[in-house]
Amino acid sequence: MLTFVLRRTLQALGVLLAVSAAAFALFYAAPADPARAACGPRCDSGQIAAVRQSMGLDQPLLTQYTEYLAGVVAGRDINDVDGSAIHCAAPCLGYSYRLHQPVAEALADHLPVTLSLTAGALAVLLVLGLGTGFVSALRHGRRTDRLLSGFTLVGASVQIYFLGYLAQWWLVHSTGLLPLPSYTPPTEDPAAWAGGMLLPWLVLGFVNSAVFARLSRSQLLETMNEEYVRTARAKGLGRLRAHLKYTSRGAAGPLVQLLGLEAGALLGGAVISETVFGLNGVGRFAAQAVSGQDLPAVVGAVLLAACFVVLFVALADLAVAWLDPRIRLGR
Amino acid sequence: MAALDTVAVTGPVPGPAEPSLLRRVVHDRVGAAALAVVLLFLLLALAAPLIAALYGKNPVEHYGQNTPGLLSDGGVPMLPNGGISGEFWFGLEPGLGRDVLTQLLYGIRTSLLIAFAAAGVTTALGVLAGVAVGYLGGIADRLFGFLANVLLAFPTLLLLLAISPVIQSRLVDPNAAEPDWMQFLVLVLVFSAFGWIPLALSLRATVRSLRERDFVQSARAQGASRFHVVVRELLPNVRSQLLVHATMAVPAFVASEAALSFLGVGVTEPVPDWGRMISRGSEVFRSDPTYLVFPGVALLLFVLAFNLLGDAVRDALDPRRAR
Repeated sequence: MLTFVLRRTLQALGVLLAVSAAAFALFYAAPADPARAACGPRCDSGQIAAVRQSMGLDQPLLTQYTEYLAGVVAGRDINDVDGSAIHCAAPCLGYSYRLHQPVAEALADHLPVTLSLTAGALAVLLVLGLGTGFVSALRHGRRTDRLLSGFTLVGASVQIYFLGYLAQWWLVHSTGLLPLPSYTPPTEDPAAWAGGMLLPWLVLGFVNSAVFARLSRSQLLETMNEEYVRTARAKGLGRLRAHLKYTSRGAAGPLVQLLGLEAGALLGGAVISETVFGLNGVGRFAAQAVSGQDLPAVVGAVLLAACFVVLFVALADLAVAWLDPRIRLGR
Repeated sequence: MAALDTVAVTGPVPGPAEPSLLRRVVHDRVGAAALAVVLLFLLLALAAPLIAALYGKNPVEHYGQNTPGLLSDGGVPMLPNGGISGEFWFGLEPGLGRDVLTQLLYGIRTSLLIAFAAAGVTTALGVLAGVAVGYLGGIADRLFGFLANVLLAFPTLLLLLAISPVIQSRLVDPNAAEPDWMQFLVLVLVFSAFGWIPLALSLRATVRSLRERDFVQSARAQGASRFHVVVRELLPNVRSQLLVHATMAVPAFVASEAALSFLGVGVTEPVPDWGRMISRGSEVFRSDPTYLVFPGVALLLFVLAFNLLGDAVRDALDPRRAR
């Protein structure tokens, strides 16, 4: 198991390194003038020259990249537009010349909102997806199965920027059943936190549960016919207990992997959901950085999101290896 | 099971007794309905100018502002439910006062043009990469695996959001007005850059297993060129996978395009677009959700129909299903 963990970690680090290089090349080399893009349309030529020097744009691209990487590992000193020196601490993802703040700091401010949103949505996704998948598989081919399949297909086809507003209009503005979506730190007032996030959790969980429900249905159906499950049933174990004990473990591998992908995608794809529900998380921050052409902030947000994807996919792989010895032993 | 698989997959030419794909899709009631809705949308897109002419409106004119009595001073339609009337069947856009029905009709064209182009490009790229890498194996295969891992680690929507302005700044002179086709081109490029990977990955796996099959081995033993093996032996056997991918890719790209336009980096004014309509609708939905509901429901129907059609195609092509 230890060698598997080590190998998987190294692989994840390699991917992250390549992702950072690609992001760097894409955003620092592609725009016609990165200094102008980083500083903004209202900067005068003197300020742009200061940014150009601070970003090290007069040096070769490779040097710029290695300095950026060194900043991520050890932190670095950066000059702001007015020439004042600022220390950008260890995971330094660059400096936002618009916000006059290190990008990592700005991201950290917005992260709790996105984490809350994702955690709750994942819980809803898991309950809803597994529930419908399990019931569908048990009632395979009957009316309930077809009804649930239709339900999940609608979930897979509806867009969050439509359903989210519709739900807000109906549940918040028309009937007042739920409070307006908002973020309260759970350490201050847990009830207000859960109340304010409930609607986003439900909508986001439902929309994303469709793929999970479909996969869990087909996985469960497949494992139900495996011989070890049939043996357990033949030996007199009840239907539900047999499925819970044997089927679910056998079917779990691909589901865990999908869950990892969904978690990464939810964290990385919070742009739309946060815009729809007016939550000020990392996604909203990234969208504002794009529209305000805040280049370093955009790169930082993209890298953070990529980290989440890589991290959760790797975690899912580890969980699968732990569940299924065939994988960690290299088959 | 294995025997069934072999029979169904190795036959490169369908036997004479096998019913056509279309017939098999239509045989399923849901598939038939989905196909009908998809065709209806295509027809509406093609006939948009004709319908607009008969109906007497166009998607760009500000009817509400030019004709007094349609919009209030605040830009809200005077009639209830978004100003639906015998004159404006689906109501008026709040603020500018454009006709909703023609905006929706022309919006189909925007979505479909981009989605079809992106689906075509990604399918072609996916086939090229997947078949080549799967057939060659070795170092090319390793490199591709790593590349796919890297590209898949990027958060798709955020990247699309971030990269569209960058590409735009490269292709378009900032001082000149951007032509419509350039916007379309940028979006298709951005979607194509990442959309080909899933297809390539699944084709790679298929081709890898096909490569070892008897019919491929015997073709090679008889001295067939690589080109022959790929084009005549391998490609016919991944046809169904391609078709399913292409059908499923269209609704995915329609949704992504609408999402980008919703966030304000997709198609810009005055080209009609569903995502931008929803974005405008989201500003006024608290008092009257009509302008949000029309493009939202249209998008839902459209994506749902395409997804159902994709399911039906997949089922019809699945050799394990009893026909």
